[in-house]
Amino acid sequence: MPTDFAALPTTRRRFLKGTGAALAASTTGGLCLPAVAQPQEIAIISNLSNVEQRQILQRLASEYEAKSGAKIVINNMDHEAHKTAIRSYLVVGAPDICFWFSGNRMKAFVTKGLFDDISDLFAKENYKSVLGATTSAVTVDGKQYGLPMGGLLWGLFYRKDVFAEHNWTPPKTWTDFLALGEAAKSANMIPISVGTKELWPAGGWFDHMNLRINGLDKHIALMDGKVQYTDPMLTPVFDKWNDLIKAGFFSPNHSSFGWEQAGAALAQKKAAMMDLGGFVRSAFPEADLPQLAYAPFPEIVPGVARYEDFSVNSIHVPANAKNKQGARDFLAYFYRPENLGAFLAAEGAIPPRNDCPPSKDPLVNAAVEELKKVVGTSQYYDRDTDPDMAQEGMTGLQEFMVKPDRRDQILERLEKTRKRIFG
Amino acid sequence: MSRFWRRNRHWLTPVLFLLPGLILFGSVILAASVETIWISLHAWDGIGQKTWVGLANYLELADDPQFYVSLKNNVIWLLIFMLAPPVGLALALIVNQQIRGMRILKSLFFIPLVLATVTVGVVFGWVYDPNFGLLQLFFGVFGSTAPALLSDENFVTFAVAAAGLWPQIAFCMVLFLAGLNNLNDDLIAAGRVDGARGWRMLRHVVLPQLSQVGFIAIAVTVIGALRSFDMVAVMTNGGPYGSSTVLAYQMYEESIFSYRFGYGAAIATVLFVIMIAFIAWYLHGLVKAERSNA
Repeated sequence: MPTDFAALPTTRRRFLKGTGAALAASTTGGLCLPAVAQPQEIAIISNLSNVEQRQILQRLASEYEAKSGAKIVINNMDHEAHKTAIRSYLVVGAPDICFWFSGNRMKAFVTKGLFDDISDLFAKENYKSVLGATTSAVTVDGKQYGLPMGGLLWGLFYRKDVFAEHNWTPPKTWTDFLALGEAAKSANMIPISVGTKELWPAGGWFDHMNLRINGLDKHIALMDGKVQYTDPMLTPVFDKWNDLIKAGFFSPNHSSFGWEQAGAALAQKKAAMMDLGGFVRSAFPEADLPQLAYAPFPEIVPGVARYEDFSVNSIHVPANAKNKQGARDFLAYFYRPENLGAFLAAEGAIPPRNDCPPSKDPLVNAAVEELKKVVGTSQYYDRDTDPDMAQEGMTGLQEFMVKPDRRDQILERLEKTRKRIFG
Repeated sequence: MSRFWRRNRHWLTPVLFLLPGLILFGSVILAASVETIWISLHAWDGIGQKTWVGLANYLELADDPQFYVSLKNNVIWLLIFMLAPPVGLALALIVNQQIRGMRILKSLFFIPLVLATVTVGVVFGWVYDPNFGLLQLFFGVFGSTAPALLSDENFVTFAVAAAGLWPQIAFCMVLFLAGLNNLNDDLIAAGRVDGARGWRMLRHVVLPQLSQVGFIAIAVTVIGALRSFDMVAVMTNGGPYGSSTVLAYQMYEESIFSYRFGYGAAIATVLFVIMIAFIAWYLHGLVKAERSNA
């Protein structure tokens, strides 16, 4: 492009000079900009996908602002995207409060020194007395690194009207369970509705069978990478699971869709039961909710105590937060029984505090009652084991559910992964 | 200031014009690529310390069955996407006719270009749904059941790539339409005088003039097939059990879900090497075309 710059009008030249000056200013002067937040500002990053919960959090924040004069900024993130984002924001640009998951997922950040020790808040507010055993979900080496939020008790869900119509009862034993499955098939229903597109439901089903067959300690040993995936203790688990697959107990083509569609099949009476947490309620229309009921996963090996998956979300103060005191003050307000109770009621989760007002949701109350009979809890496959192992493991378990004949190959692959991760 | 400016403007002016682009390209593309290659030589979980592992990630990759599944799927994507330029050309020739109502038809063919790829993925996901999808309705007319394409390890990649093909065809069509509008009328008139019409006209007069556009369409399609990611993420999450992953998706899955940024970076580097071969070919073609034009 042969252009004579000398012949250009002065405006262009001025523009260029200006651009040069601006560039110079932005590269040098930009560094001097102070990155100081208001001392009385409390920044919260939430991963809440439930609209009602977001509104309640906003309401509590405004109430607290009016009371204390602090300013609260809430940033809502997409639930799945947040799982990735938290890894960078905890290091660079941490908020004062963030939502996360207790147990191993919390521990991963605690060992890297990214969550603040809030044992002082626990002591001051005397949380241990109202939390009881749930305290252990947020404890590492005797120190507390977060506040437990709502819990999800996993189990089988069914419709009361469907069971009444066919004269079925929730299965207590494995024989009951197999019989119920056959009955459902002859009634032209899918015995177990499942959608494994997002993989984790396959991991959950494995958890529940393994807990019923091998018990909690061996299950946790497997999650911690101390037991091989080719160990004979898993043979009965996969044998029994294989029987179910071969008998057509699970939704056909379950790898094409997620839990929402599987939940809809349960709501539409196309399936008899579904293995999920209390959030299955969101797949039900309001009018059908009273029909939804919970039954524990049936006993498989008699004599194995009742262990369940009970996943507990949590809320934390990042170690790099700017306003740690403000964060603690707001958390103390947020964690008051009436506030926490209102917040958790919106998602149908079980409150961790024993002094929250009783829920109006019969499902939550049933779960609270059931929880009293549970001897020990794990959290969930992808919360209990290493994330890398979880990804490989859930993919393998999904493959097993579609191609049970590849079992040996799959387990060898998982064992290879286990060895790489846990050594 | 003004004396300095007058003395140095012959080089300052182009530098200032180029600077914003160079800074962006340098930091977003070049530096990131170099850093990716650097990370691929480490074991890193994305937060903690990087541990130097040399070529261990690449050795593991060579022994990873999932990597070959992804590679094979990328080849399938590439082959299916190669349909886009010829079909796009055919459509462009059809909608370029001066017929009443052709404008509406043309805009209908434009539609997939307006939609975000994620939307296309979601819509096709519904079409393929074995319970209520359009495909099932179609098969139902004949009293049979549609195959659950997204659940079948043998069909899934073809089904996803076919969904990706739809907007790609529209894109190629637009390229060729633009090319058809720039045809040299003199050449066509001359061809007509010489008695060329129909197929001979197309083959010997029109197509040679479209060769440049065709080259761009092919190159863009190749790159589009190699970087395919969004469709896979939206429609299958790489499933069932990893049978529809492509390299870009496997990279994402390893880094984001398995927290193996070093391994993910190694996959990215392999993809980069494959792409750079195509890009070199593309640039070579472009430079050659510019020379022959000059």
